Amino acid sequence: MKPLIISIDRQYGSGGRDIAHILEKKFDIPYYHHRLLREVGIHQDYDIDEIRDMYDESPRYLTASRRVRGLVNSNEENITQREFEFLRSMAQQGKSFVVIGHCSEELLRDYGVISIFITGDDDFKLKRTMEKYHEDEAAARARMKRFDRKRKNYHNYYTNTKWGDVRNYDITMNSSRLGVEKTADFLEAYIRQRMEEAEKASEE
Amino acid sequence: MGSMSPAFYPIRQAMKPSTILNCTTEYRTKTGLNIVLCLKEDYDISILKGMCSMEGFAPWAAVIIFLLMFILIILDKFERHWVTLSCAAAVLIIVFGICLHSWPDVWEVINLNSIFTTSFWIGPSESSSVGINWSTIIFIAGMMVMVEGMAQQGFFRWLCLWIARLVKYRASRIFLAFMVMSFLLAMFIDSITVILFLAAVTVELGKLLHFNPVPIILSEIFCANLGGSATMCGDPPNIIIGTSLHLSFADFIVNTGLLAFVSLFLVMLWFWLCYHKRLQKSEKYVQTMTVFPDPKEAIENKTGFIVSAMIFLLAIVLLVSHAQTGLTVAFIGAFIALVTLLAAGKHVPELLKQIDYKTLLFFIGLFVVVGGLEETDVLTVIADLIARISGGNMVPVVLIIIWVSAAASAFVDNIPFSAVMVPVIRTLSAVYGLDLNVLAWTLSMGTDIGGSATPIGASANVVGTAVAMKNGYPISWKSYMKTAVPATILVISVSSLLILIRYVWI
Repeated sequence: MKPLIISIDRQYGSGGRDIAHILEKKFDIPYYHHRLLREVGIHQDYDIDEIRDMYDESPRYLTASRRVRGLVNSNEENITQREFEFLRSMAQQGKSFVVIGHCSEELLRDYGVISIFITGDDDFKLKRTMEKYHEDEAAARARMKRFDRKRKNYHNYYTNTKWGDVRNYDITMNSSRLGVEKTADFLEAYIRQRMEEAEKASEE
Repeated sequence: MGSMSPAFYPIRQAMKPSTILNCTTEYRTKTGLNIVLCLKEDYDISILKGMCSMEGFAPWAAVIIFLLMFILIILDKFERHWVTLSCAAAVLIIVFGICLHSWPDVWEVINLNSIFTTSFWIGPSESSSVGINWSTIIFIAGMMVMVEGMAQQGFFRWLCLWIARLVKYRASRIFLAFMVMSFLLAMFIDSITVILFLAAVTVELGKLLHFNPVPIILSEIFCANLGGSATMCGDPPNIIIGTSLHLSFADFIVNTGLLAFVSLFLVMLWFWLCYHKRLQKSEKYVQTMTVFPDPKEAIENKTGFIVSAMIFLLAIVLLVSHAQTGLTVAFIGAFIALVTLLAAGKHVPELLKQIDYKTLLFFIGLFVVVGGLEETDVLTVIADLIARISGGNMVPVVLIIIWVSAAASAFVDNIPFSAVMVPVIRTLSAVYGLDLNVLAWTLSMGTDIGGSATPIGASANVVGTAVAMKNGYPISWKSYMKTAVPATILVISVSSLLILIRYVWI
């Protein structure tokens, strides 16, 4: 069986992470999100959630870091490069996995990645964010805006393509139409179809 | 005390809104630009001729190119040597060629003829005052060759492991010993190389001995910058200051060296108070260990190792005695490089490949851009501004230079900053009669130590924090500055006080 690599990028609050979790279970393959940080060797003394909030999927802040003799002291860039190396090596080894964000649709394009972008209506995303973080509307909106901007800047800094541009992904879905679970079901069917097509192609 | 009247002072005067009454004169510039002048009737038209001509635009062009260079370096979209070289080409073409129509100045800024004079290699004169400082370039290149030779022979790794064994692999003792070693090595070798090796070995020992290497790396970085300030060859700003102002190794060691040694004691005490409890906790583990790394493992070729150590000692002797022997730092750099290459034998191509030629090109471009600022009197204006604020008195001048240099170097690369400030202090001395050497020590301490305050202030900080991160120990700005900023303030305060006591008040 050919390795299965699923890349999911998402707008904040759209349920992309939950969908990735569901697909992880349905296909019984590992799911990398902030677990990536442990895989790339962040020392166990560090609080991984704190490191994720501060540096993971963040662009390099040019005024806060410098490059000397090829070494750059941006924690964001160092973590990103190590994550990229890890994901590439997993793909090269023929491993199957689900990865969320991390420019993976672009990074793993040559490894037959199935790339998905999850979007959602503002009201849907807002409601989910308010419930999850017990925040009022203003705080939840600010959070969504902050994270979407961060993800966009991160993606556009490390790739030559634009974050959320439908041309970069195999499928772009609005999770507010069917809800998170049914969206995941739909995607499962799509992925299985893709796997069948890939098997047929390799047999031919 | 005379007052300055640089080329573009009249521009500001002419731009004052109060002088504008009605439109009276149409003026056509050399480039064909029609300008309608709105002047008070008694205003001297010659003032505005300078402003409107291409010659009047030269200082602005030099400033714009310099700022563009700084912004491009920060943005890091292009390699920084291409940035400085492109900006240098822009200075030569736009400022000297188009604006000033002064092609002889181009040759003066490139300054190649200085290399072919005897005084460049032997004698008291180090370098021409304007343009590319070839002494700095050749010296840095020579030291790079030597350091690469030493690294190939495993010298730095051996030294680190040997010291760790000497202090019985106790984390708190390694902490103190590595601070001293970092200081002493950085006196003679560029701090980037010192930290590159020290930080890597510290991480390795940290993993082996179960201690967190971050406090030690942070202390090493600070001490490397401090050690660099002690000598003429320790830090690039000092090489620039020393070669431009004809100062010797001995001049530095008895002035900034003394300040650095006093500061080292205080800094070690500070870092000890901050970190020793954390490090002592890990020492119990060492008592259970039976196998330790052998320093000899770092040496592949014993003869090559001894030769590289001898070359290093020779470099130190030549540098310490260069005022007596009359050999310039350019000569010492070239000689040491030649000896290292001869000793390297068949490894010469390998060694030359490792040379950081990008840094050398960065310096060449930088010197031309700063030469543009200097030739168009922009730096004279800065000197004049400092003199006006201070009233030409030594005490405020010292305080302004050291604190402004420290604050600026904390956020921008201290190499371009010091290259800009050298002509400024030279002007301050020439025009206002202030002691140039005192200003040089002040500038040196400000730029070298100020760079320690933030993770981006000096190259050693960048390398040290990057090595820690690559090994799984991210260092945030907050955790870096928590100890580095108080240490910087402490050293700058003590240095300010000692400079004033020694050179001004007594």
